[in-house]
Amino acid sequence: MLARVAASFYWLGRYLERTRHTIRLVRYPLDRLVDRTGSEIAIAWEVVHRTLGQALPEPSENGDEADAYLLMDAYTLAGSLIEEASNPDSILSCWSVARENARQVRSHLPLAVWTCLNQGYLWIREIDLPSVWTAGPAAFVGEASDRLRLLAGMMDAIMYRDDGWRFMVLGRFVERVQHQAAFLSAWIALGQRARGSATLPWADLLRICGAYEVFGRRYSMEVRQEQVLAFLVQDPELPRSLRFAVQHIEEMLAGIDPAGARYPLAPAHRMALRLASALEVETLDGARGGSPLRFFHTVGSECRKLHDVTVASYLDHTRVGGTET
Amino acid sequence: MTMLESSREEPKTGVAPFPGYEVGSQFYDEMFEPDGTPRTACRQLGETLRGLGAEDLTKLQESVYRRFLHEGITFTVLGGDEVTERIIPLDFVPRLMTGAEWDRIRQGLEQRLVALNLFLKDVYHEGRSLRDGIVPADLVLGSPQYRMEMRGVDVPHDVYVAVCGMDIIRTHDGVAVLEDNLQVPSGVSYMLGCRDAVKGAFPDLYRTHRVREVSGYSERLYATLSSLAPSTRTPRVAILTPGLYNSAYYEHALLAGEMGADLVEGQDLMFHDGALFARTTKGLERIDVLYRRLDDDFLDPVTFRPDSFLGAAGMFHAYRAGNLVLANAPGTGVADDKALYAYVPRIIRYFLGEDPILDNVETHLCREPEGLAHTLDRLEELVVKEVGGAGGYGMLVGPHASEAERAEYADRIRADPSNFISQPTLDLSRAPCYVDGRIEPRHVDLRPFVLQGRDGPTVVPGGLCRVALRRGSLVVNSSQGGGCKDLWVVDGHGEDPA
Repeated sequence: MLARVAASFYWLGRYLERTRHTIRLVRYPLDRLVDRTGSEIAIAWEVVHRTLGQALPEPSENGDEADAYLLMDAYTLAGSLIEEASNPDSILSCWSVARENARQVRSHLPLAVWTCLNQGYLWIREIDLPSVWTAGPAAFVGEASDRLRLLAGMMDAIMYRDDGWRFMVLGRFVERVQHQAAFLSAWIALGQRARGSATLPWADLLRICGAYEVFGRRYSMEVRQEQVLAFLVQDPELPRSLRFAVQHIEEMLAGIDPAGARYPLAPAHRMALRLASALEVETLDGARGGSPLRFFHTVGSECRKLHDVTVASYLDHTRVGGTET
Repeated sequence: MTMLESSREEPKTGVAPFPGYEVGSQFYDEMFEPDGTPRTACRQLGETLRGLGAEDLTKLQESVYRRFLHEGITFTVLGGDEVTERIIPLDFVPRLMTGAEWDRIRQGLEQRLVALNLFLKDVYHEGRSLRDGIVPADLVLGSPQYRMEMRGVDVPHDVYVAVCGMDIIRTHDGVAVLEDNLQVPSGVSYMLGCRDAVKGAFPDLYRTHRVREVSGYSERLYATLSSLAPSTRTPRVAILTPGLYNSAYYEHALLAGEMGADLVEGQDLMFHDGALFARTTKGLERIDVLYRRLDDDFLDPVTFRPDSFLGAAGMFHAYRAGNLVLANAPGTGVADDKALYAYVPRIIRYFLGEDPILDNVETHLCREPEGLAHTLDRLEELVVKEVGGAGGYGMLVGPHASEAERAEYADRIRADPSNFISQPTLDLSRAPCYVDGRIEPRHVDLRPFVLQGRDGPTVVPGGLCRVALRRGSLVVNSSQGGGCKDLWVVDGHGEDPA
């Protein structure tokens, strides 16, 4: 497969996953609008922005960051993350970039997959925030989410499992690890700071990750922090756990470069195996710095390195083949 | 062939088959006789259309439009910093042509391409046709499209032009070729897209008319390209695209997908050890046949334009060494120059010893004194074109131009006569089209796609039927407000084969 084409598949996977994450994140404060206090809604927005690494609204002189969110209206915050083309993390931007990458690999995509992705883009491009607000923002987020699920299901059902598929899935899980590490980190940091009614319930974290029901069956309905984090980090069967994602990264890299999965290991594959081992055996407050925050920071940074090595080894078409151009 | 001009006898008017639809003797109508009765092959379609209300027509048009929109069948328009994707206006009413009529056109197109390939071989080797005065030597050797680098290069199987899209038109006097388009003709994806969309709009008519298939185009293209490959092993075929922002990118991607070929950009390619390679995730892999959708100038910065980033340095060396097939070969543009066009009938007679099956349009060369005088004297009646022009740009449609525009254009002609040719203003045939909620006649032309591989030429039975959507306009180019419709080559007249 052409290195440039592989890179487009990889970024297609990443941006579709990023779109999914943004939808999941935006949904949280929007759902809270219905029956929560201003401070509870404000802290939810703060989780969103901190996870995305976006600049926070300026706090007032005597206030703190949460106060700043209280002063911003939900309409503006949601608009920036839904339809603002200048915001690279908005749902519109992520979907557009995913589509641009899909255009690059159009000749490799089944027509039904391309059409589904394109229809989603055309739909979101026509989104008019005032009408979204009139109909209820939750309905918009729900439809965006359904469209992505339909696309993912279609890809899963009909795409050929070649290197294009592997690079796309690799991109999806690299993005998931980085994003999930940032999200858990933001949740813990803000949870530690939360006060009064503006708390961040661990059950909410499970719901956002689509893991609430299965957590109840696996552990109990009594939601405890250590169990939640261990579940979201180390459970090998949970699609949103870090371990699950890294396992898939390792599996995709082994498929892309079968020779690299044997001794001597290819650099990207070696890094994936090391990360998988760490997630399997280390405890969150154990070997890596002694705190969950430190742990997530390390996971995020190792995943970024893995991305760099993957790009250099397989995707940088100016280098693949020997001579740099 | 003689062209209809404005001096034609007073047109007669027939009975309108649709409300407000003009028929008569002024223009050839593809669906109706001058008295308004449908032509034999078009009866069923005419009846079907007459039975549809305004709402039905709009629904049909919307359904084909939606299909193009959702499938992203678009072309890219660059304007300043803006990049816009647009859908080519597609008309859902097919144009019908009988199988017998098509067969004659097909023979004419194949004859023309075979002769032009022989001519190209000649001008890059012995130059017999130039010495014998068939074509003026200075017209060929002085053309900016004549590539000195190609002199003496042996092209695989002598196929210089493997893919061409000849524009043909029809008037009351018959069918004629208007342009040859031998370099990088585009539009075949619209032919395929129109067919899928329109077939879905009229499934019963499609079946009962026994329409000849165009869906095998990509297979034929692959067979054509791979037949030119130098080795016997299964060749690696790639399409070279200028990239995502090229106006025909959709077409490049479609053809690559349907052929299972790589869609490469210049940055994906590398010249190494006398051959051309693609940079893949597993290292360098050799390319055998490159269907390039890029002008000659940009192919290789070492040989052609040094500032090109779209091609690959060394590509031409690989080609000269016989380690790569380029389709079409560099330098084919010399044979689709609008001035050389006038000599194609002579070229056919000279190389094949046959009369041309398809006529040319009467053409006056301003490089010749008589042609220049004729053009300047009758500017208000003629269409004047630059010899290297394309896309409908830079031409003057005399009857539609103002006095000042004609005067300005005349100055340009006098300043550089050899850069211009003139032709009569053609009464292009018209076909029914959906416009603003009703059926109206619009001028059309047709671009069939002709392929030539090792085993000879072939044409799929169809083409890109271009439509001048603006009322009264004769310009069918998509860049100038033109649209497209499907062409059905039919072997039935709407009777149920069962």
